[in-house]
Amino acid sequence: MSKKSRSKLWFLVHSWLALPIWFFVLIVCVTGTLAVVSQEIVWLANPEMRASKPTDDAPLLGYEQVVAAIRQAQPLTQVQSITRPDESHFALEVRVTYPDGRPDTVYVNPYSGVIQGSAPTFNFQAFTRALHGWWLVPFTNGFSWGWYLVSFLGLPLLASLVTGLVVYKRFWKGFFRPTLRIRHGARIFWGDFHRLSGIWSIWFIAVISITGTWFLIQALLFDNQISISSEPVLPVVARESVPLSADGTAPPLLNLDRALEIAQQRIPGLEASFINLPGNAYSHLEISGRGWYPLMFQTATLNPYDGDVAALRLLSDRTTLEFVTESMRPLHTGDFGGLWIKLIWFFFGLILSMMVLSGLLIWTKRTALATANAFKRSQKPSRGARAARSLQPSMGSESSEGSL
Amino acid sequence: MSQSTTHPSTPSRLNLIWRKWRFHLNVLLLLIPLGFMPKYFSEAALFRGDEGLGQRDVGEIQVGPWSLRLAEFRNEAPRQEGPAGPMKHFNAALCQRCIGQVKATYLRIGKPRSLRAAGVIFFGSPYRMGALLPVPSKTQPDAELWITLEGWDGSMHQASIPLSQASPATVAWLNTQGTQR
Repeated sequence: MSKKSRSKLWFLVHSWLALPIWFFVLIVCVTGTLAVVSQEIVWLANPEMRASKPTDDAPLLGYEQVVAAIRQAQPLTQVQSITRPDESHFALEVRVTYPDGRPDTVYVNPYSGVIQGSAPTFNFQAFTRALHGWWLVPFTNGFSWGWYLVSFLGLPLLASLVTGLVVYKRFWKGFFRPTLRIRHGARIFWGDFHRLSGIWSIWFIAVISITGTWFLIQALLFDNQISISSEPVLPVVARESVPLSADGTAPPLLNLDRALEIAQQRIPGLEASFINLPGNAYSHLEISGRGWYPLMFQTATLNPYDGDVAALRLLSDRTTLEFVTESMRPLHTGDFGGLWIKLIWFFFGLILSMMVLSGLLIWTKRTALATANAFKRSQKPSRGARAARSLQPSMGSESSEGSL
Repeated sequence: MSQSTTHPSTPSRLNLIWRKWRFHLNVLLLLIPLGFMPKYFSEAALFRGDEGLGQRDVGEIQVGPWSLRLAEFRNEAPRQEGPAGPMKHFNAALCQRCIGQVKATYLRIGKPRSLRAAGVIFFGSPYRMGALLPVPSKTQPDAELWITLEGWDGSMHQASIPLSQASPATVAWLNTQGTQR
Protein backbone atom coordinates (compact mmCIF):
# COMPACT_ATOMS: atom_id res chain seq x y z
CA MET A 1 0.00 0.00 0.00
CA SER A 2 1.32 3.43 -0.84
CA LYS A 3 2.04 5.89 1.91
CA LYS A 4 -0.72 8.13 0.72
CA SER A 5 -3.42 5.51 0.59
CA ARG A 6 -2.33 4.22 3.96
CA SER A 7 -2.75 7.62 5.58
CA LYS A 8 -6.07 7.91 3.80
CA LEU A 9 -7.11 4.64 5.36
CA TRP A 10 -6.06 5.84 8.80
CA PHE A 11 -8.03 8.96 8.21
CA LEU A 12 -11.09 6.95 7.27
CA VAL A 13 -10.75 4.84 10.37
CA HIS A 14 -10.43 7.98 12.47
CA SER A 15 -13.52 9.52 10.90
CA TRP A 16 -15.62 6.44 11.33
CA LEU A 17 -14.74 5.57 14.91
CA ALA A 18 -17.19 7.77 16.71
CA LEU A 19 -19.31 8.87 13.82
CA PRO A 20 -22.15 6.36 13.78
CA ILE A 21 -22.70 6.88 17.51
CA TRP A 22 -21.55 10.47 17.82
CA PHE A 23 -24.51 11.65 19.84
CA PHE A 24 -24.23 8.83 22.34
CA VAL A 25 -20.51 9.55 22.75
CA LEU A 26 -21.26 13.24 23.14
CA ILE A 27 -23.83 12.71 25.88
CA VAL A 28 -21.56 10.28 27.71
CA CYS A 29 -18.80 12.92 27.59
CA VAL A 30 -21.10 15.69 28.76
CA THR A 31 -22.62 13.70 31.61
CA GLY A 32 -19.15 12.55 32.67
CA THR A 33 -17.99 16.16 32.70
CA LEU A 34 -20.96 17.11 34.86
CA ALA A 35 -20.39 14.16 37.16
CA VAL A 36 -16.86 15.41 37.93
CA VAL A 37 -18.23 18.56 39.53
CA SER A 38 -21.62 17.19 40.61
CA GLN A 39 -20.69 17.48 44.28
CA GLU A 40 -19.75 21.13 43.77
CA ILE A 41 -22.97 21.80 41.88
CA VAL A 42 -25.00 20.42 44.78
CA TRP A 43 -22.85 22.52 47.12
CA LEU A 44 -23.69 25.65 45.15
CA ALA A 45 -27.38 24.85 45.08
CA ASN A 46 -27.68 23.70 48.65
CA PRO A 47 -26.38 25.87 51.52
CA GLU A 48 -26.97 23.01 53.99
CA MET A 49 -24.06 21.17 52.43
CA ARG A 50 -21.58 23.93 53.26
CA ALA A 51 -19.20 23.83 56.18
CA SER A 52 -19.22 27.37 57.39
CA LYS A 53 -16.94 28.18 60.29
CA PRO A 54 -18.71 29.71 63.29
CA THR A 55 -15.52 31.62 64.15
CA ASP A 56 -12.21 31.96 62.33
CA ASP A 57 -10.30 29.79 64.75
CA ALA A 58 -12.97 27.16 65.36
CA PRO A 59 -11.37 23.72 65.56
CA LEU A 60 -12.73 20.68 63.76
CA LEU A 61 -14.71 18.34 65.96
CA GLY A 62 -13.51 14.80 66.50
CA TYR A 63 -15.70 11.96 65.28
CA GLU A 64 -16.82 11.10 68.80
CA GLN A 65 -17.96 14.69 69.36
CA VAL A 66 -19.85 14.61 66.07
CA VAL A 67 -21.73 11.46 67.07
CA ALA A 68 -22.41 12.94 70.51
CA ALA A 69 -23.78 16.13 68.94
CA ILE A 70 -26.12 14.15 66.70
CA ARG A 71 -27.24 12.04 69.64
CA GLN A 72 -27.96 15.13 71.65
CA ALA A 73 -29.99 16.76 68.89
CA GLN A 74 -31.84 13.59 67.89
CA PRO A 75 -31.51 10.98 70.66
CA LEU A 76 -33.31 8.24 68.71
CA THR A 77 -31.49 8.65 65.40
CA GLN A 78 -28.95 5.91 64.66
CA VAL A 79 -25.63 6.76 63.01
CA GLN A 80 -24.17 4.32 60.47
CA SER A 81 -21.22 6.11 58.96
CA ILE A 82 -19.47 9.44 58.75
CA THR A 83 -17.72 10.75 55.66
CA ARG A 84 -15.47 13.76 55.72
CA PRO A 85 -15.32 15.00 52.09
CA ASP A 86 -11.91 15.91 50.65
CA GLU A 87 -12.56 19.61 50.43
CA SER A 88 -12.92 21.52 53.68
CA HIS A 89 -15.84 23.60 52.41
CA PHE A 90 -18.09 20.54 52.48
CA ALA A 91 -20.06 19.55 55.55
CA LEU A 92 -19.70 16.03 56.95
CA GLU A 93 -22.01 13.50 55.35
CA VAL A 94 -23.51 11.21 57.94
CA ARG A 95 -25.64 8.20 57.07
CA VAL A 96 -28.35 7.77 59.66
CA THR A 97 -31.60 5.88 60.19
CA TYR A 98 -34.67 7.33 61.85
CA PRO A 99 -36.97 5.38 64.19
CA ASP A 100 -39.61 5.18 61.44
CA GLY A 101 -37.17 3.07 59.42
CA ARG A 102 -36.21 5.77 56.95
CA PRO A 103 -32.52 5.92 56.03
CA ASP A 104 -31.10 9.35 55.34
CA THR A 105 -27.90 11.22 54.68
CA VAL A 106 -27.55 14.36 56.74
CA TYR A 107 -25.10 17.22 56.44
CA VAL A 108 -23.37 17.95 59.74
CA ASN A 109 -21.27 21.02 60.37
CA PRO A 110 -17.72 19.77 61.12
CA TYR A 111 -17.06 22.64 63.58
CA SER A 112 -20.30 22.78 65.54
CA GLY A 113 -21.86 19.34 65.05
CA VAL A 114 -25.13 20.97 64.02
CA ILE A 115 -27.29 18.87 61.69
CA GLN A 116 -27.73 21.37 58.87
CA GLY A 117 -30.16 19.38 56.78
CA SER A 118 -30.87 16.25 54.81
CA ALA A 119 -29.54 15.42 51.39
CA PRO A 120 -32.08 16.45 48.76
CA THR A 121 -34.53 13.79 47.62
CA PHE A 122 -33.23 14.09 44.10
CA ASN A 123 -29.62 12.99 44.34
CA PHE A 124 -28.03 14.93 41.48
CA GLN A 125 -24.64 13.40 42.13
CA ALA A 126 -25.91 9.84 42.00
CA PHE A 127 -28.10 10.59 39.01
CA THR A 128 -25.36 12.07 36.81
CA ARG A 129 -23.09 9.20 37.78
CA ALA A 130 -25.74 6.62 36.97
CA LEU A 131 -26.49 8.27 33.66
CA HIS A 132 -22.84 8.54 32.74
CA GLY A 133 -21.77 5.22 34.21
CA TRP A 134 -24.50 2.83 33.12
CA TRP A 135 -26.98 4.83 31.07
CA LEU A 136 -29.50 4.23 33.91
CA VAL A 137 -29.86 0.56 32.98
CA PRO A 138 -30.53 -1.23 36.30
CA PHE A 139 -28.14 -3.77 37.78
CA THR A 140 -30.03 -7.01 38.31
CA ASN A 141 -27.55 -9.86 38.07
CA GLY A 142 -23.96 -8.64 37.91
CA PHE A 143 -23.12 -5.54 35.90
CA SER A 144 -25.88 -3.83 33.93
CA TRP A 145 -25.69 -3.93 30.15
CA GLY A 146 -25.70 -0.15 30.23
CA TRP A 147 -22.34 -0.31 31.99
CA TYR A 148 -20.98 -2.44 29.15
CA LEU A 149 -22.47 -0.07 26.60
CA VAL A 150 -20.75 2.96 28.10
CA SER A 151 -17.45 1.39 29.12
CA PHE A 152 -17.07 -0.13 25.67
CA LEU A 153 -16.61 3.42 24.38
CA GLY A 154 -13.14 3.38 25.96
CA LEU A 155 -11.94 1.33 23.00
CA PRO A 156 -13.05 3.61 20.12
CA LEU A 157 -11.86 6.58 22.18
CA LEU A 158 -8.42 5.06 22.51
CA ALA A 159 -8.43 4.19 18.83
CA SER A 160 -9.48 7.75 17.99
CA LEU A 161 -6.53 9.07 19.92
CA VAL A 162 -4.06 6.78 18.19
CA THR A 163 -5.43 7.23 14.67
CA GLY A 164 -5.82 10.95 15.27
CA LEU A 165 -2.15 11.25 16.10
CA VAL A 166 -1.20 9.13 13.10
CA VAL A 167 -3.18 11.22 10.61
CA TYR A 168 -2.10 14.49 12.18
CA LYS A 169 1.46 14.33 10.89
CA ARG A 170 4.08 15.96 13.08
CA PHE A 171 1.42 16.84 15.61
CA TRP A 172 4.07 18.01 18.09
CA LYS A 173 4.62 21.04 15.90
CA GLY A 174 1.13 22.11 16.92
CA PHE A 175 2.42 22.71 20.43
CA PHE A 176 4.85 25.34 19.22
CA ARG A 177 2.70 26.86 16.50
CA PRO A 178 -0.85 26.79 17.82
CA THR A 179 -3.28 27.52 15.02
CA LEU A 180 -6.87 28.56 15.51
CA ARG A 181 -8.14 30.43 12.47
CA ILE A 182 -11.31 32.19 13.39
CA ARG A 183 -12.07 34.22 10.28
CA HIS A 184 -11.85 31.51 7.63
CA GLY A 185 -15.25 29.96 7.97
CA ALA A 186 -16.69 27.36 10.27
CA ARG A 187 -15.06 24.36 8.60
CA ILE A 188 -11.53 25.75 9.09
CA PHE A 189 -12.29 26.88 12.59
CA TRP A 190 -13.60 23.51 13.72
CA GLY A 191 -10.71 21.72 12.04
CA ASP A 192 -8.18 23.89 13.83
CA PHE A 193 -10.10 23.57 17.06
CA HIS A 194 -10.26 19.79 16.76
CA ARG A 195 -6.52 19.50 16.20
CA LEU A 196 -5.46 22.09 18.77
CA SER A 197 -7.63 20.74 21.57
CA GLY A 198 -6.71 17.23 20.51
CA ILE A 199 -2.99 17.62 21.03
CA TRP A 200 -3.39 19.43 24.34
CA SER A 201 -5.66 16.73 25.67
CA ILE A 202 -3.60 13.74 24.57
CA TRP A 203 -2.90 12.89 28.22
CA PHE A 204 -6.53 13.33 29.22
CA ILE A 205 -7.96 11.26 26.39
CA ALA A 206 -5.40 8.56 27.17
CA VAL A 207 -6.37 8.58 30.86
CA ILE A 208 -10.10 8.53 30.20
CA SER A 209 -9.98 5.89 27.48
CA ILE A 210 -7.63 3.56 29.37
CA THR A 211 -9.56 3.87 32.63
CA GLY A 212 -12.83 3.54 30.70
CA THR A 213 -11.57 0.35 29.12
CA TRP A 214 -10.62 -0.86 32.59
CA PHE A 215 -14.26 -0.45 33.64
CA LEU A 216 -15.17 -2.77 30.79
CA ILE A 217 -12.54 -5.30 31.89
CA GLN A 218 -13.67 -4.95 35.50
CA ALA A 219 -17.25 -5.84 34.56
CA LEU A 220 -16.08 -8.75 32.43
CA LEU A 221 -13.96 -10.09 35.29
CA PHE A 222 -16.75 -9.70 37.82
CA ASP A 223 -19.43 -11.24 35.67
CA ASN A 224 -17.19 -14.21 34.99
CA GLN A 225 -16.41 -14.57 38.69
CA ILE A 226 -12.72 -13.85 38.24
CA SER A 227 -11.19 -12.05 41.20
CA ILE A 228 -7.83 -10.31 41.22
CA SER A 229 -8.16 -9.23 44.85
CA SER A 230 -5.43 -10.15 47.30
CA GLU A 231 -7.50 -8.94 50.23
CA PRO A 232 -8.24 -11.76 52.66
CA VAL A 233 -11.85 -12.32 53.69
CA LEU A 234 -12.21 -11.16 57.25
CA PRO A 235 -14.25 -13.38 59.58
CA VAL A 236 -16.81 -11.71 61.82
CA VAL A 237 -15.92 -10.69 65.37
CA ALA A 238 -15.62 -13.95 67.28
CA ARG A 239 -18.45 -14.75 69.65
CA GLU A 240 -15.94 -14.95 72.51
CA SER A 241 -14.67 -11.43 71.99
CA VAL A 242 -18.11 -9.84 72.10
CA PRO A 243 -18.49 -8.96 75.76
CA LEU A 244 -21.42 -10.32 77.69
CA SER A 245 -23.39 -7.93 79.77
CA ALA A 246 -24.90 -8.63 83.14
CA ASP A 247 -27.89 -6.34 82.71
CA GLY A 248 -28.87 -7.64 79.30
CA THR A 249 -28.11 -4.48 77.36
CA ALA A 250 -25.50 -3.70 74.75
CA PRO A 251 -21.98 -3.00 76.06
CA PRO A 252 -20.52 0.41 75.23
CA LEU A 253 -18.57 0.74 72.01
CA LEU A 254 -15.02 1.98 71.79
CA ASN A 255 -14.66 5.77 71.77
CA LEU A 256 -14.23 6.81 68.13
CA ASP A 257 -11.36 9.19 68.85
CA ARG A 258 -9.55 6.39 70.66
CA ALA A 259 -10.26 4.11 67.69
CA LEU A 260 -8.78 6.72 65.36
CA GLU A 261 -5.69 6.96 67.56
CA ILE A 262 -5.22 3.19 67.34
CA ALA A 263 -5.67 3.28 63.57
CA GLN A 264 -3.19 6.12 63.19
CA GLN A 265 -0.63 4.28 65.28
CA ARG A 266 -0.84 1.36 62.91
CA ILE A 267 -1.13 3.41 59.71
CA PRO A 268 1.20 6.40 60.01
CA GLY A 269 -0.01 9.44 58.09
CA LEU A 270 -3.60 8.17 57.89
CA GLU A 271 -6.07 11.01 57.39
CA ALA A 272 -9.29 9.33 58.39
CA SER A 273 -12.06 10.48 56.10
CA PHE A 274 -14.49 7.63 56.48
CA ILE A 275 -15.76 5.91 59.61
CA ASN A 276 -18.07 2.96 59.23
CA LEU A 277 -19.72 1.95 62.47
CA PRO A 278 -20.39 -1.75 63.07
CA GLY A 279 -23.41 -3.09 61.15
CA ASN A 280 -24.33 -5.49 63.96
CA ALA A 281 -23.00 -6.95 67.20
CA TYR A 282 -20.53 -9.16 65.36
CA SER A 283 -19.19 -6.72 62.82
CA HIS A 284 -16.19 -4.44 62.93
CA LEU A 285 -15.52 -0.75 63.02
CA GLU A 286 -13.78 0.51 59.89
CA ILE A 287 -11.64 3.59 59.62
CA SER A 288 -10.23 4.57 56.27
CA GLY A 289 -8.51 7.46 54.62
CA ARG A 290 -5.78 8.49 52.27
CA GLY A 291 -2.08 8.48 52.96
CA TRP A 292 0.78 9.79 50.85
CA TYR A 293 -0.64 8.21 47.71
CA PRO A 294 -3.86 10.09 47.06
CA LEU A 295 -5.43 7.58 44.72
CA MET A 296 -6.05 4.86 47.27
CA PHE A 297 -7.57 4.40 50.66
CA GLN A 298 -5.98 2.57 53.56
CA THR A 299 -8.27 0.91 56.06
CA ALA A 300 -8.02 -0.25 59.63
CA THR A 301 -10.64 -2.73 60.79
CA LEU A 302 -11.09 -2.79 64.54
CA ASN A 303 -12.92 -4.82 67.10
CA PRO A 304 -15.45 -2.20 68.24
CA TYR A 305 -15.36 -3.32 71.89
CA ASP A 306 -11.69 -3.61 72.79
CA GLY A 307 -10.02 -1.82 69.86
CA ASP A 308 -8.12 -4.89 68.75
CA VAL A 309 -6.92 -4.40 65.18
CA ALA A 310 -8.53 -7.22 63.23
CA ALA A 311 -7.17 -6.26 59.82
CA LEU A 312 -5.21 -3.58 58.04
CA ARG A 313 -5.36 -2.83 54.37
CA LEU A 314 -2.30 -0.77 53.50
CA LEU A 315 -0.85 0.55 50.28
CA SER A 316 1.93 -1.98 50.66
CA ASP A 317 -0.59 -4.82 50.87
CA ARG A 318 -1.66 -4.25 47.31
CA THR A 319 -0.14 -6.29 44.54
CA THR A 320 1.28 -4.38 41.58
CA LEU A 321 -1.79 -5.29 39.58
CA GLU A 322 -4.09 -3.96 42.31
CA PHE A 323 -2.02 -0.81 42.58
CA VAL A 324 -2.69 -0.14 38.92
CA THR A 325 -6.31 -1.25 38.78
CA GLU A 326 -7.37 0.44 42.01
CA SER A 327 -5.93 3.72 40.72
CA MET A 328 -8.13 3.55 37.65
CA ARG A 329 -11.35 4.85 39.14
CA PRO A 330 -9.96 8.01 40.80
CA LEU A 331 -7.97 8.73 37.65
CA HIS A 332 -11.19 8.54 35.66
CA THR A 333 -13.26 10.70 37.99
CA GLY A 334 -10.58 13.16 39.12
CA ASP A 335 -11.75 13.09 42.73
CA PHE A 336 -8.42 12.49 44.40
CA GLY A 337 -6.88 15.87 45.04
CA GLY A 338 -9.49 18.43 45.86
CA LEU A 339 -11.18 21.10 43.85
CA TRP A 340 -8.36 22.01 41.48
CA ILE A 341 -7.92 18.53 40.10
CA LYS A 342 -11.69 18.35 39.62
CA LEU A 343 -11.67 21.64 37.75
CA ILE A 344 -8.88 20.40 35.47
CA TRP A 345 -10.86 17.22 34.79
CA PHE A 346 -13.97 19.29 34.20
CA PHE A 347 -12.18 21.61 31.75
CA PHE A 348 -10.71 18.77 29.73
CA GLY A 349 -14.04 16.96 29.89
CA LEU A 350 -15.61 19.97 28.20
CA ILE A 351 -12.82 20.00 25.62
CA LEU A 352 -13.36 16.32 24.95
CA SER A 353 -17.09 16.87 24.51
CA MET A 354 -16.32 19.70 22.11
CA MET A 355 -13.98 17.42 20.19
CA VAL A 356 -16.79 14.96 19.58
CA LEU A 357 -18.96 17.81 18.39
CA SER A 358 -16.26 19.45 16.25
CA GLY A 359 -15.40 16.07 14.74
CA LEU A 360 -19.00 15.70 13.71
CA LEU A 361 -19.23 19.24 12.36
CA ILE A 362 -16.10 18.73 10.25
CA TRP A 363 -17.47 15.50 8.91
CA THR A 364 -20.89 16.93 8.15
CA LYS A 365 -19.43 19.85 6.26
CA ARG A 366 -17.08 17.65 4.33
CA THR A 367 -19.80 15.16 3.48
CA ALA A 368 -22.12 17.91 2.38
CA LEU A 369 -19.41 19.09 0.01
CA ALA A 370 -18.57 15.65 -1.26
CA THR A 371 -22.24 14.94 -1.88
CA ALA A 372 -22.62 18.24 -3.65
CA ASN A 373 -19.61 17.45 -5.80
CA ALA A 374 -21.12 14.15 -6.79
CA PHE A 375 -24.27 15.92 -7.87
CA LYS A 376 -22.34 18.47 -9.83
CA ARG A 377 -20.60 15.73 -11.73
CA SER A 378 -23.85 14.01 -12.58
CA GLN A 379 -25.51 14.91 -15.90
CA LYS A 380 -28.62 16.65 -14.74
CA PRO A 381 -28.14 19.88 -12.81
CA SER A 382 -30.21 19.49 -9.68
CA ARG A 383 -30.88 20.99 -6.29
CA GLY A 384 -27.65 19.42 -5.18
CA ALA A 385 -25.67 21.40 -7.71
CA ARG A 386 -27.13 24.62 -6.51
CA ALA A 387 -26.23 23.62 -3.00
CA ALA A 388 -22.72 22.92 -4.19
CA ARG A 389 -22.42 26.36 -5.68
CA SER A 390 -23.53 27.98 -2.49
CA LEU A 391 -20.96 25.93 -0.61
CA GLN A 392 -18.22 26.82 -3.07
CA PRO A 393 -16.38 29.43 -0.98
CA SER A 394 -15.21 26.95 1.61
CA MET A 395 -14.20 24.38 -0.99
CA GLY A 396 -10.67 25.59 -1.41
CA SER A 397 -9.97 25.02 2.22
CA GLU A 398 -11.26 21.48 1.90
CA SER A 399 -8.15 20.24 0.17
CA SER A 400 -6.05 20.98 3.22
CA GLU A 401 -7.79 18.22 5.11
CA GLY A 402 -6.71 15.64 2.59
CA SER A 403 -3.08 16.38 3.27
CA LEU A 404 -3.46 15.88 6.96
CA MET B 1 -14.04 9.98 1.40
CA SER B 2 -17.76 9.42 1.41
CA GLN B 3 -19.33 6.77 -0.72
CA SER B 4 -21.23 9.30 -2.75
CA THR B 5 -18.04 10.28 -4.60
CA THR B 6 -17.81 6.77 -6.00
CA HIS B 7 -21.49 6.77 -6.81
CA PRO B 8 -22.05 8.86 -9.92
CA SER B 9 -25.75 8.15 -10.46
CA THR B 10 -28.30 10.37 -8.75
CA PRO B 11 -29.50 8.69 -5.56
CA SER B 12 -33.22 8.36 -4.94
CA ARG B 13 -35.02 10.63 -2.53
CA LEU B 14 -35.30 7.90 0.09
CA ASN B 15 -31.63 7.21 -0.29
CA LEU B 16 -30.92 10.90 0.30
CA ILE B 17 -32.95 10.94 3.47
CA TRP B 18 -31.12 7.86 4.69
CA ARG B 19 -27.77 9.45 3.83
CA LYS B 20 -28.66 12.62 5.58
CA TRP B 21 -30.03 11.10 8.77
CA ARG B 22 -28.29 7.77 9.25
CA PHE B 23 -25.75 9.19 11.69
CA HIS B 24 -28.47 10.88 13.64
CA LEU B 25 -30.26 7.62 14.27
CA ASN B 26 -28.05 7.09 17.30
CA VAL B 27 -29.93 9.89 18.97
CA LEU B 28 -32.40 7.08 19.54
CA LEU B 29 -29.90 5.64 22.03
CA LEU B 30 -31.14 8.42 24.29
CA LEU B 31 -34.42 6.58 24.53
CA ILE B 32 -32.69 3.94 26.68
CA PRO B 33 -32.02 6.19 29.71
CA LEU B 34 -35.33 7.94 29.15
CA GLY B 35 -37.09 4.59 29.26
CA PHE B 36 -35.25 3.53 32.40
CA MET B 37 -35.73 6.82 34.19
CA PRO B 38 -39.03 5.90 35.95
CA LYS B 39 -37.40 2.66 37.09
CA TYR B 40 -34.35 4.60 38.31
CA PHE B 41 -36.46 6.94 40.39
CA SER B 42 -38.66 4.19 41.80
CA GLU B 43 -35.50 2.31 42.85
CA ALA B 44 -34.13 5.47 44.46
CA ALA B 45 -37.42 5.86 46.34
CA LEU B 46 -37.29 2.24 47.46
CA PHE B 47 -33.77 2.65 48.86
CA ARG B 48 -34.76 5.95 50.44
CA GLY B 49 -37.47 4.11 52.35
CA ASP B 50 -40.38 5.95 50.75
CA GLU B 51 -42.27 2.67 50.63
CA GLY B 52 -41.41 1.79 54.22
CA LEU B 53 -39.19 -1.19 54.98
CA GLY B 54 -39.78 -2.72 51.58
CA GLN B 55 -42.25 -3.26 48.80
CA ARG B 56 -44.32 -5.78 50.75
CA ASP B 57 -44.87 -5.72 54.48
CA VAL B 58 -45.01 -9.20 55.99
CA GLY B 59 -46.17 -7.88 59.34
CA GLU B 60 -45.19 -7.85 63.00
CA ILE B 61 -43.82 -11.18 64.18
CA GLN B 62 -43.66 -12.06 67.85
CA VAL B 63 -40.40 -13.78 68.80
CA GLY B 64 -40.45 -14.74 72.48
CA PRO B 65 -40.60 -11.56 74.55
CA TRP B 66 -39.58 -9.46 71.55
CA SER B 67 -41.06 -8.71 68.17
CA LEU B 68 -39.92 -7.46 64.80
CA ARG B 69 -41.53 -6.16 61.67
CA LEU B 70 -40.51 -8.01 58.54
CA ALA B 71 -40.79 -6.89 54.94
CA GLU B 72 -39.80 -8.13 51.52
CA PHE B 73 -37.49 -5.49 50.10
CA ARG B 74 -38.75 -6.35 46.64
CA ASN B 75 -42.03 -8.07 46.04
CA GLU B 76 -40.51 -10.53 43.62
CA ALA B 77 -38.76 -13.89 43.26
CA PRO B 78 -35.21 -14.28 44.59
CA ARG B 79 -32.55 -12.67 42.43
CA GLN B 80 -29.59 -14.53 41.08
CA GLU B 81 -26.48 -13.17 42.82
CA GLY B 82 -23.68 -14.55 40.72
CA PRO B 83 -22.08 -17.71 42.13
CA ALA B 84 -23.97 -17.27 45.42
CA GLY B 85 -27.15 -18.42 43.72
CA PRO B 86 -30.67 -17.08 44.23
CA MET B 87 -30.97 -14.62 47.11
CA LYS B 88 -33.96 -12.95 48.67
CA HIS B 89 -33.59 -9.57 50.35
CA PHE B 90 -35.60 -9.11 53.57
CA ASN B 91 -35.67 -6.00 55.72
CA ALA B 92 -36.68 -5.89 59.35
CA ALA B 93 -37.20 -3.46 62.20
CA LEU B 94 -36.95 -4.40 65.88
CA CYS B 95 -39.60 -3.18 68.25
CA GLN B 96 -38.55 0.06 69.92
CA ARG B 97 -38.20 -1.38 73.42
CA CYS B 98 -36.21 -4.45 72.35
CA ILE B 99 -33.53 -2.48 70.50
CA GLY B 100 -31.26 -2.31 73.53
CA GLN B 101 -31.76 -5.96 74.41
CA VAL B 102 -31.43 -7.79 71.11
CA LYS B 103 -27.88 -8.58 70.14
CA ALA B 104 -28.48 -10.18 66.78
CA THR B 105 -31.24 -11.19 64.39
CA TYR B 106 -31.00 -14.16 62.05
CA LEU B 107 -33.06 -15.59 59.23
CA ARG B 108 -33.06 -19.12 57.89
CA ILE B 109 -35.22 -21.43 55.80
CA GLY B 110 -35.93 -24.48 57.97
CA LYS B 111 -35.42 -24.80 61.70
CA PRO B 112 -31.88 -24.03 62.87
CA ARG B 113 -30.22 -26.78 64.88
CA SER B 114 -28.34 -24.30 67.06
CA LEU B 115 -27.58 -20.63 67.47
CA ARG B 116 -24.40 -21.12 65.48
CA ALA B 117 -26.46 -22.27 62.52
CA ALA B 118 -29.16 -19.65 62.91
CA GLY B 119 -28.77 -18.53 59.29
CA VAL B 120 -27.91 -15.18 57.82
CA ILE B 121 -27.44 -12.28 60.20
CA PHE B 122 -29.14 -8.93 59.71
CA PHE B 123 -27.01 -5.84 59.12
CA GLY B 124 -27.80 -2.22 59.70
CA SER B 125 -29.69 -0.07 62.11
CA PRO B 126 -32.32 -1.86 64.24
CA TYR B 127 -34.85 0.49 62.66
CA ARG B 128 -34.08 -0.84 59.23
CA MET B 129 -31.84 -3.84 58.94
CA GLY B 130 -31.38 -6.05 55.94
CA ALA B 131 -30.39 -9.63 55.22
CA LEU B 132 -29.80 -11.51 52.00
CA LEU B 133 -31.31 -14.95 52.44
CA PRO B 134 -30.09 -17.72 50.14
CA VAL B 135 -33.05 -19.58 48.64
CA PRO B 136 -31.84 -22.71 46.83
CA SER B 137 -34.08 -23.50 43.88
CA LYS B 138 -34.79 -26.96 45.36
CA THR B 139 -36.38 -25.47 48.49
CA GLN B 140 -39.78 -27.00 49.21
CA PRO B 141 -42.55 -24.43 48.59
CA ASP B 142 -44.13 -25.34 51.94
CA ALA B 143 -40.91 -24.57 53.84
CA GLU B 144 -40.85 -22.34 56.89
CA LEU B 145 -38.89 -19.19 57.48
CA TRP B 146 -37.25 -19.15 60.91
CA ILE B 147 -36.38 -15.99 62.77
CA THR B 148 -33.87 -16.22 65.60
CA LEU B 149 -33.26 -13.40 68.04
CA GLU B 150 -30.24 -13.51 70.31
CA GLY B 151 -30.27 -11.34 73.45
CA TRP B 152 -27.40 -9.54 75.12
CA ASP B 153 -28.34 -11.56 78.21
CA GLY B 154 -27.43 -14.75 76.33
CA SER B 155 -31.04 -15.84 75.71
CA MET B 156 -32.30 -17.06 72.37
CA HIS B 157 -35.83 -16.89 70.99
CA GLN B 158 -37.23 -18.29 67.80
CA ALA B 159 -40.34 -18.01 65.70
CA SER B 160 -41.33 -19.24 62.28
CA ILE B 161 -43.76 -18.28 59.58
CA PRO B 162 -44.62 -20.18 56.40
CA LEU B 163 -42.53 -19.08 53.44
CA SER B 164 -45.79 -18.50 51.61
CA GLN B 165 -46.60 -15.81 54.15
CA ALA B 166 -43.11 -14.31 54.11
CA SER B 167 -42.88 -14.15 50.35
CA PRO B 168 -45.63 -15.40 48.03
CA ALA B 169 -43.46 -14.39 45.05
CA THR B 170 -40.71 -16.73 46.24
CA VAL B 171 -43.14 -19.62 46.61
CA ALA B 172 -44.55 -18.94 43.17
CA TRP B 173 -41.02 -19.01 41.80
CA LEU B 174 -40.21 -22.24 43.68
CA ASN B 175 -43.30 -23.84 42.15
CA THR B 176 -42.00 -23.07 38.66
CA GLN B 177 -38.67 -24.67 39.66
CA GLY B 178 -40.52 -27.94 40.25
CA THR B 179 -39.85 -29.34 36.81
CA GLN B 180 -36.11 -28.98 37.26
CA ARG B 181 -36.12 -30.75 40.58
